[in-house]
Amino acid sequence: MSQDEDLYNEPTEPRMRVGQSSSVPSTGLAIPPTPQAAPVPTPPPVRRQRRMSRRTLIGASLAGLAGLGIGGIALGEYVQHSGLSNLFHGPMASDSQIGHLLRRAGFGATPGELTTYKNLGFSGAVDRLLNYQQVSDDATDNRLKALNLNLARPLDQQRWWLLRMAWTQRPLLEKMTLFWHGVLVSSYRKVGGPRAYGRMMIQNQFLRDHAFDTFDNMLLGITGDPAMLFYLDLTKSTKQAPNENYARELMELFTLGLGHYSQQDVFEGAAALTGWHVRGLSSHYLPGDHNDLNKTYLGQTGNFDYKDVVRILANHPATPWFIGRKLFTFFVYENPTDEDIKPLVDTYVQSGHNMGAVMRTLLLSPQFSSTKAYRSRIKSPVEFTAGAYRALNIQGSGDTLPQYPLLMGQTVFDPPNVAGWPGDKVSAFWLNSGTWMMRLNYVDALLARGNFSRNSKPTPVDLQGIVKANNIDSPEHFVDYFSSFLLDGVVDSNRRAQYIKYFTTKDTSRGNAQVTLKNGQSYPFNRVRGTLYLMMASPEYQLN
Amino acid sequence: MKLSRRAMIKDGLLVVSAGMVMPAIFSRGIASARAQSIDGSHIAQTASDRTLIVVQMAGGNDGLNTVIPFSDPLYHQMRPTLSIADAKVLPIDTRLGLHPNLAPLKNLWDAGHLAIIEGVGYPNQSLSHFQAMDIWQTLDLSGNGSQGWLGKLVSGWVDQDGHPFKAMDIGVQTAQALSSISAPVPTLSTVNTYRLYPDPADTDNGNARLQALMNLYNSYPKTSPYAALLDTTALSANEGSRQLHEADAQYHAAVTYPTGPFAAGLKVLAEAIVQGLGLRVGYVTLGGFDTHANQQATHDMLMKTLADGLSAFYTDLAKHGKADNVVVMTWSEFGRRVEENGSQGTDHGTAAPMFVLGNPVNRGIFGEPASMSSLDTTGNLKYTTDFRSVYATVLDRWLGASSQDVLGGSFGSQNFLPQP
Repeated sequence: MSQDEDLYNEPTEPRMRVGQSSSVPSTGLAIPPTPQAAPVPTPPPVRRQRRMSRRTLIGASLAGLAGLGIGGIALGEYVQHSGLSNLFHGPMASDSQIGHLLRRAGFGATPGELTTYKNLGFSGAVDRLLNYQQVSDDATDNRLKALNLNLARPLDQQRWWLLRMAWTQRPLLEKMTLFWHGVLVSSYRKVGGPRAYGRMMIQNQFLRDHAFDTFDNMLLGITGDPAMLFYLDLTKSTKQAPNENYARELMELFTLGLGHYSQQDVFEGAAALTGWHVRGLSSHYLPGDHNDLNKTYLGQTGNFDYKDVVRILANHPATPWFIGRKLFTFFVYENPTDEDIKPLVDTYVQSGHNMGAVMRTLLLSPQFSSTKAYRSRIKSPVEFTAGAYRALNIQGSGDTLPQYPLLMGQTVFDPPNVAGWPGDKVSAFWLNSGTWMMRLNYVDALLARGNFSRNSKPTPVDLQGIVKANNIDSPEHFVDYFSSFLLDGVVDSNRRAQYIKYFTTKDTSRGNAQVTLKNGQSYPFNRVRGTLYLMMASPEYQLN
Repeated sequence: MKLSRRAMIKDGLLVVSAGMVMPAIFSRGIASARAQSIDGSHIAQTASDRTLIVVQMAGGNDGLNTVIPFSDPLYHQMRPTLSIADAKVLPIDTRLGLHPNLAPLKNLWDAGHLAIIEGVGYPNQSLSHFQAMDIWQTLDLSGNGSQGWLGKLVSGWVDQDGHPFKAMDIGVQTAQALSSISAPVPTLSTVNTYRLYPDPADTDNGNARLQALMNLYNSYPKTSPYAALLDTTALSANEGSRQLHEADAQYHAAVTYPTGPFAAGLKVLAEAIVQGLGLRVGYVTLGGFDTHANQQATHDMLMKTLADGLSAFYTDLAKHGKADNVVVMTWSEFGRRVEENGSQGTDHGTAAPMFVLGNPVNRGIFGEPASMSSLDTTGNLKYTTDFRSVYATVLDRWLGASSQDVLGGSFGSQNFLPQP
């Protein structure tokens, strides 16, 4: 697909509604008659609509909330746990905990990293991830600089970020930036044309700089972000004719979710948000271009501007539930209960809306380290791409790297529409026959070509070197070595036997190439490489 | 390529007639699918080689500038910069005309192969893209993760014929309309990438490795996370890519398709139809309709992409003698605001027209016009025609499926297709 098809800008795919309680009955017809709102224990009740005929529609989603636990089961949850006769949600095996942490709060790990983090213990590992300033990432910066990328080009931006995710020593910072990119969405396809593509990098750096800041600061920054101003048309909004686009999505997709605002709030919010301009790579706010009339917005009245809108939204009781549900779904498991989210909401309120504090609560929660969370999400294309690159410690310039996650269904700097990636909410959406084959073809390319450079010789993964460096002395050892960091060492005996059988089957590799183990035994090169391919093509490796 | 092997499910039992060979992978797929099926819905339907192609116009297409009520003075009055001049409109009667870039669709109209359903929507329409898309695709307000209407339809078919291409989705992500718990729908961007590449070091073209791979999926414990999804996906990919590449070697398009992913997607669907892969439901998405600002250039281009692509697709099928077997239906999650905004664009709206085209279609204008003078409180059109009546018509009169089963209720019908 061409990178220049501006025509095919957002949105191109159907997607899930976000932020809605997920344990609602999944059958039954849409558009039911207006239901009676039942009380909901903890989350703020969906606000009654004042003026809109949409009231019935919104009332119905409230009924959905009230239906928690009544017996409906959503697709994601069903697929995820189908067949489990006994859902045991205890803690996962301690050997898997750090591997799980580094996959969820990062992009997996090399054997060396695994050791480093294991030595810190779980909470020490969480500290290291959250206190990222204490870990230097200069080496990553220097390697990226040495590539001389043109960061005004989308393809180079994608390379830059994918390689950064693969190489960084601050994995949670990058993961959190990716999370925010999927929530506070913009796409290079609508930021003002090729000369404005650099706006995406400015936004990316903003999200990274403020990844663990207060939510208020994130909202203030993203509202005045040049890419966002263009992407959701706030730069076109005038005091005489406010444009509704940003005002609506700010409430629906960034803070409150459907059901907590009316169309009138969209109108009034749009008026309050006027005054912004973008020129080149910078934006500015002109008070003279702001609509100075009194507005009634989410129940409050005043001559509000964008700062008031952000203040009202960041303090709205629905906001921590909305953002907490997104975080939990992305980092822990899908279809969380209100009890799962409550500690995040409490931390949000108690910490003055600090997202770093919320993340600490999340990572240290028993849910995060539960068997229910373990391998409970399909790896996203970016997790799969950067993760494999990282685990195998691939160097090189990654020229052709961006095409792989693109064909797997995820292109950074180009979410499909303002709701972000549906797979972030229901990870089963990442997987279909086409994207599955692309994952496996990527593994193939990674093992056989290595550095994805256009102009240099292919540099396949040096299996003989790995065998030598790690004193691998048997097929069993080979399988166990790679399983230890690719699969947490969690491979049942039957499946381990399948890998070993493939490794040891007599075959002739092209050119009679062989790999010699420490014990002096040689095996056909294609069988050795094929075994590693199978491990990374396996069902287990598709999971995060 | 017709499959001679047929299996049927009767009362939950898999019945394979004597003499027929059921490939192991299909019976496994069926077992997986049946294990997954929670509602166990059996969609009553008759066998045929009829195909429905669904075109999603994502983002909310401006219906008023697509099928234009040019004779209504309010249209020009409320859209001082965006209304299309009468002289440019392609009139189809004294009241309505098509966007100038829809000339290829006007030709289909003249030939009697285009139907327009006016004023389509649903009660209490949402102005949210995402809720609206959920409703159109799952018919379910609660939305989150439920089955798509087409997914529900085709999941039964996959069971019965064990055929990987009863449905096909063009793109990298399966449309929610096709999402199904029991039968993931093959989803592909191009034929060329729909394959597993062998390791260059293998001398058997990757066969041994592929077999080991399928064994890993087959033996993945059924109680593990995502077991059925992973297993059926691998099976469908493996068998589907083989069939698709065999077909591809034999197919020659009878027309030159326009460039761009939309037409390329339609071409893949045409190939599947012409080569007899058993396609019953094809799905392709054209995005970019969310025209809040500077609408005209974008919308003009989209209209052209839509019409040129559909016209090439129709002509290709006609030249291959397949045009009698295919009906195309377009939809978008909502229309746009009647009055233009201050950014030369339009905000989210409600009711909009749908196109249905193909040889089997009754030409005409169906549904009811939505009034431009009696708008709702948001300045939007009041819908006149329930979208489910359009779905029901396609299901009952074209696909021979029970709309009652698929939609879970009766929503009337429209006469754009003849009674069977």
